[in-house]
Amino acid sequence: MVEKQKFLVYRKNPGETPRYERYTVPLKPGMSVLEALFYIQDHLDSSFAFRYACRGAICGSCGITIDKFPQLACRTQVTAVKSTKKPLKLPELTFGEVPNDWNQETEILIEPLPNMEPIKDLVVEMEPFWKFYEEVKPYFVREYIDVQPESLQSFEDARSIEHLVYCILCGICWTCPVNATNSNYLGPTALAKAYRFMADTRVDDSHRSVIAGRVSKEDGVPACEKHFVCNRVCPKGVKPGTAIQNTRKEYLTP
Amino acid sequence: MSVKEFDVLIVGGGLSGLRAGLELSKKWKVALVSKVVPIRSHSGAAQGGINAALGNHPEGKEDTPEKHAFDTIKGSDYLADQDVVMFMTKEAPKIVVEFESMGAPFSRFENGKIAQRPFGGAGSPRTCYAADRTGHALLHTLYEQCIRQGVDFYDEFFLIDLISVYNTVTGALTLDLTTGELVTFRTPYVILATGGFGRIFTASTNAIICTGDGVGAAFRVGVPMQDCEFIQFHPTCLYGSGILMSEGARGEGGLLFNNKKERFMLKIAPEAKELAPRDIIARAITTEINEGRGFEDAYVHLDLTHLGAERIKERLPGIRDIAIDFAGVDSIEKPIPVHAGHHYSMGGIGTKFDGDYCETSLDGLWAVGENAAVSVHGANRLGGNSLLETAVFGRYIGRKMLERGLPSRPSLDKIIAAEKATLDNIEGLFKRWESNSGKKAVEIREAMGETLSRNVFVFRKESELQQAVNDMKNFQKDFENVSLTNISSPAARKFNYGLVRTLELRNMIDIAEVTAFASLWRKESRGAHYRTDYPTRKDEDYLVHSMVIRNNSGDLEMHTKPVKLGIFEPKPREY
Repeated sequence: MVEKQKFLVYRKNPGETPRYERYTVPLKPGMSVLEALFYIQDHLDSSFAFRYACRGAICGSCGITIDKFPQLACRTQVTAVKSTKKPLKLPELTFGEVPNDWNQETEILIEPLPNMEPIKDLVVEMEPFWKFYEEVKPYFVREYIDVQPESLQSFEDARSIEHLVYCILCGICWTCPVNATNSNYLGPTALAKAYRFMADTRVDDSHRSVIAGRVSKEDGVPACEKHFVCNRVCPKGVKPGTAIQNTRKEYLTP
Repeated sequence: MSVKEFDVLIVGGGLSGLRAGLELSKKWKVALVSKVVPIRSHSGAAQGGINAALGNHPEGKEDTPEKHAFDTIKGSDYLADQDVVMFMTKEAPKIVVEFESMGAPFSRFENGKIAQRPFGGAGSPRTCYAADRTGHALLHTLYEQCIRQGVDFYDEFFLIDLISVYNTVTGALTLDLTTGELVTFRTPYVILATGGFGRIFTASTNAIICTGDGVGAAFRVGVPMQDCEFIQFHPTCLYGSGILMSEGARGEGGLLFNNKKERFMLKIAPEAKELAPRDIIARAITTEINEGRGFEDAYVHLDLTHLGAERIKERLPGIRDIAIDFAGVDSIEKPIPVHAGHHYSMGGIGTKFDGDYCETSLDGLWAVGENAAVSVHGANRLGGNSLLETAVFGRYIGRKMLERGLPSRPSLDKIIAAEKATLDNIEGLFKRWESNSGKKAVEIREAMGETLSRNVFVFRKESELQQAVNDMKNFQKDFENVSLTNISSPAARKFNYGLVRTLELRNMIDIAEVTAFASLWRKESRGAHYRTDYPTRKDEDYLVHSMVIRNNSGDLEMHTKPVKLGIFEPKPREY
């Protein structure tokens, strides 16, 4: 007999109040939560909406909340959900009225990412996320050159920013309690991205101070309350909270 | 109906589309539509690197673009167009240096120069890298520069069909997923940069979004599909999920073992060993498994353990994470279970013999990156050349179009009539899908994938290919009657991914049919196309590009296009 897994899934049509629906999915070996979501869409309800792209934890599309823990759906094994230890001190996350009869032992609860407006089912509004990303001017402003030699960077300097570079912009760090209450907060993603550029030895000082100027405003680094939830939920080891701390030390100290 | 007017429409936000957009939006009004936010594109999954004869590696000081071109052409089994390859390899150092100036976070040698590593089929260590996440690094860098320049993005727009008047493209019909509305872009130039179509196979390293939307759209307006029989099977896909394990792993010294602890590549390619081209290693691994020398009859071992923890963490951190997350194997301690699987499509939208590079037979329509057959990869692509192709030809198209200026257009009333016909056709299609009582898309998609994966895989033969061709005709019939509920109103189409996936299948099923058809036609073995019933290369008959169109009676028809030779004489391929 094929093993089955029950899911309790947050559903919402645009402009309507959310509801929770139950689905039963036959398991395949190694099945990810993302594959389970596809099973529901393919076989049970074609209008069930969620974002996806790579299924390999590199594109950042499929952040959702699984059993009250925001994660990448593709990287999460269905059979491991109930046994995996959650990060410590996760904030309480509420999306709608979860049915009283949710069996926490056996049913996997699927909800959207926190602190972003749900549009349809698991698809959330990411406009503010991208707006804040762009606001920190996360780019080089050098003239393009295409003749050798390239500009140099030491092995160590290149390596020191590598973990920051590999942010996949999934938005899971918006689980931060500050994002829950302050809709102007630039958020851990944009601040970590800002630090990625400030910490890059190749960035020129004038652009570095433009970025530093933006993140030092009240809705930037000063708004961080040092919960470090971002560090604990980040699926790629970016450590946005540490980047914010470093920014505070290196650029905000009077 | 909403109509938006631009000078150029670019479809696809991966490296090719972004690079073209960056160039063109300096001067022109450009719309870049993408079905996902550009940094979600599959370019970001590329791991190992980007080839350029920089000469930074101590063992590659004498490297040149000519040597890079030779390796590429030999790797292609002489099916690549040699003038285009030479152009690409000469541009390569410029493109890599340009990426660096944009801020790309390349890994570095101790002297501060961009680091390079050896890669398969290359006579010199010329693959520049950012650890094993090079695609991610380049995609984010190019997106950042597009943000800096203010490129006009239309994210989460799905390309449905191209619109044309006689032999001239006049725009495209799209679905705006964020509103559910059908939106027409009216533009004299369209650039298709929609990436690969690996999802026609059951298992592929490709993202779920790699469904050949541009290829399908171009084919429906009469543009031939070129070289679709040439599918790259990557030798090292992670057992279970099929996720890519970079060739960089072997570039850094990773070794392949069968269940008898034999390094089987030593007998297959005595000189290149684990760094033979991908087609050769994919066949070797598949043979080991087929002949009982695999593990669980399903995979061989890619062993990195001798490299040591420090080197793995520095050079291959991404694939280490993936193998831990998706297979529970830490490559520092244990060998990684791998097998060959679909990875890359050398073929795609056909390009003109006598046009500029990337130009198609439909005036105003250009194609770039994996969705195009330019052709720099011929019958087998070398690792590190795909990232290169995207940026080189993205920039090239931009410059070429600006140099040519905006083309003359058909009369406005003809354009409007074509737009209306396209829209009516799609609205009719949606109504039909709603009233149909046939199979669901998933059933057809899975059957199609299984047929291709069984019959058009690493080793091919007449009877199986014929079976695939027959099956595909049946799947086309099934698709005529595909059923899908509630898609007629914009409200119902808002973020309706069930609809998107059915529209994607509409493209994939055409591509799959052409792939089977072209593979049956080519009665020789060349590069990635290996026929057990015709095991040798036959230049006298098949040193040509295959070009498939659908004729007026609905059947596929094979044409050919000459290969541009003249720099390197075709020779037997030994490694």
